Order: sequence, then structure tokens, then C-alpha cells
Amino acid sequence: MTEILLHLLEVSFWSGIAAVGFGILFNVPKQTILSIFILGFLAGLIKFSILHHGHHIALASLAAASFVGWASIPIAHKIHHPPVVFSIPTMIPMIPGYFAYETILSLMNFVFVETDPEKRLLLIDAMFSHGFKMIYVLIGLTFGVALPLLVMNKGSIKQLR
Amino acid sequence: MSDSEKFAKTAHLLLEIASLLMVSGANTSRIQRSINRFAAALNFTVHTWIHQKTIIMTLTDESSKVSDTRVFNLPPHAINFKTISEISKASWKAQREDWDIDKITTEIERIKSLDKYPNIVVLIAVSFAVAGFCNIFKGDYLNMTVAFVSAFTGLCVSQQVHKRHYNLYVRIFLASLTASLVASLGIVFDIGANPQTALATSILFLIPGVPLINSFTDLLENNILNGLARFAVGLMIVLAIATGLFLAMSIFSINRV
Repeated sequence: MTEILLHLLEVSFWSGIAAVGFGILFNVPKQTILSIFILGFLAGLIKFSILHHGHHIALASLAAASFVGWASIPIAHKIHHPPVVFSIPTMIPMIPGYFAYETILSLMNFVFVETDPEKRLLLIDAMFSHGFKMIYVLIGLTFGVALPLLVMNKGSIKQLR
Repeated sequence: MSDSEKFAKTAHLLLEIASLLMVSGANTSRIQRSINRFAAALNFTVHTWIHQKTIIMTLTDESSKVSDTRVFNLPPHAINFKTISEISKASWKAQREDWDIDKITTEIERIKSLDKYPNIVVLIAVSFAVAGFCNIFKGDYLNMTVAFVSAFTGLCVSQQVHKRHYNLYVRIFLASLTASLVASLGIVFDIGANPQTALATSILFLIPGVPLINSFTDLLENNILNGLARFAVGLMIVLAIATGLFLAMSIFSINRV
């Protein structure tokens, strides 16, 4: 049990580091870096705990992104920066980049390399499962982070008090 | 300042703000909301059509009811969240404190001159991010070192190519090829417990996170054309990444990531 918990904490820590790295690539203001790390860490913790219990990655991403969406309301008011500035870098480690290029790699193997019909069928399966998994995770992420605004029927976090 | 001069100046300023937001990576509805706040402060009404490379804006001066439509071509996109944050804050202040055109112009000039993080800081931060990805995908600390070095060289190449103003997708392809060639060495020399992970994650710093998130945000808010355009950009980038990776894997005859 402790081992699993330690592993979860380690993975979440590196999720936070990854979020900060992308934040710096996107030139975020210095005051937001701490928030990005903490949000990235907690979002990672939520996502990997749900994955650990055997649920689907799209559901885990939706839950983590909803957390980021709700948590960004008080943070935005506290540090006076619009929520996108710290919520997008936080979600970058959860972007299904691996599924995205795995889809294209399967496609390229299908077109250029594989000749065995059975393996070609497996490649079609890989294209569909990776490709649509990517789309569902992306929908989960954007829907989750926009959830507070959709529920409150407002265009901007600034109008939520 | 005559009325027509004032109108021209306001039109240029609002178009420039919209352009700055678009190339910095803001989603479409955010751009529209910010522009409306600035326009309200200047007593203008605006209707906009925002796209990847062009903005069309019809402006109406509420005091004289003069109206005009302008088209503005955008410079290349370069994600910059500091710009988005500062413009957003300025738009609220402008509306609340009724800023005049000169004050807004000065503020926008100040925002444009804000500094970015130095290249070396970006290099190290992104390489650590990639090492983090490697850990997430069950790599050990040796794999993470390989991923770190691959991302570092890949991003170095990307920054150098960027200085020479190459096509975006050529730049992504070259960066992906470099990073995956370096990471393939980890597989050839069997470094760490899980060398495949280092290869699979070494290119993740190139993933089009902002275009893909903005794409679905735009689709969700019914900005369908922009959403599709951003998704196409994201797909093109993924295609460039996968081509680089595929080539590197063929060179070292690696079968599976």
C-alpha cells in the first residue's frame, strides 16, 4: 500500500514538473509558476489514482480537468491572472500526445511496412483505438476545465465571485 | 486629431490587440470578449471574424455612427501566455477606468516589449518536463536521463531552425528526428530498464497541446471553423512528429515503441 502511494506521489510530482516546464515554454508570468506546479501535482494525483483503480483514461482526464477548472476560480482571483494562463500548462502533461503519434505511426506502418494481413488488421485496430481515445481524452480535458463556466452560464471567471 | 484619424487609429489598435491575442494562443471567444471590453472603453461597437491568418473587423463609432470594415493579416503564431494575461488585465482596467486611446496604445506597446524567458532556461525546463513524462510512462532514472538529453538536443535544433524562419512543420520534423535519433541510442546501447519509454517520451515536448485544447474549446463554444482549423494545425504537427520518429526508427531498425 505504502509503495503504491509513494509511486503515485512520485509520478504526480513529475507531472507537476512537466506542467511547469511547458509553462516556461509558453512564457507564463513568474507569479503563476507555483500555482502551475501545485495544480499539476494534484491533477496528476487525481488522474493516476483513478487510473490505478482501473477506470478509463478519458474519465480520469475529465475528473482531473474538472478539478483544475474549479480550483482555478479562487486561484485566478488570488493571483490576478486569467485562468487559461495556468490551467493550460497544467493540462499539457495530460494531453494524449502519445496516442496521437501512435495513431500516425500505426498508419505509417500500415501503409509503408506491414504486408502480413493479420498484422495489418491489428494495425487498423490500433489506429482506431488510439485515434478515438485521443479525441475522447481531449473532449474530457476541455469539457472538464470549462465546466465551472458552463454550469454557472458565464463567459469569464472574473464574473464568478 | 480629426475624427477620421481617430477612427483609423482606433481600428488599427483594436485589430492589433486581436492579432496579438490570436498569435499568442488565446481561444476565439476570449479574443472576442477582450476586444469588446476595449471597444466599450473607446465607445465603439465591433463585430469580428477571427481566423488563423486573418481578422476581419467591422467597427462602428457610437458617437458619430461612422462604420468601416478592415481586414488584418496576422504574423506567424508564437505562444506567449504573458501577453494573454496582460492584455486581459488591461481590458478589464480599460473598461472600468474608461481609458482613452493613448493610454491603451501605451499599455499595448509596454506589453509587446515584455521579456521572455532566456533560451537556456526554456531548454532546461522543457528537458525536465520530458524527463517527467518519461517517469510517468514508467521509465527509471537512467531512462529519464536519456529522455532529458534527447529533448535538450531536439529543442536546441528547434530553436536554431526557428531563428532561420523555416516552415513550422519542417522545424517540428527536424526536432522530432533529432530527439528520436538521440533516444534511439538508448535502445541500441540498452540503457536503463525500459529504453523504449525514453524514445516514446523524448518527442513529447513537441506535442501541439495549445492548438488541440483551443481546438476543442472553440468547437465547444460553436466557433466551428476556427476549431477545425486549429485541429488541422494540431494534426499536421503530430504528422511531422510521427514522420521524424518513424524515420529514426527505420534508421536504427527499431520495430515498436
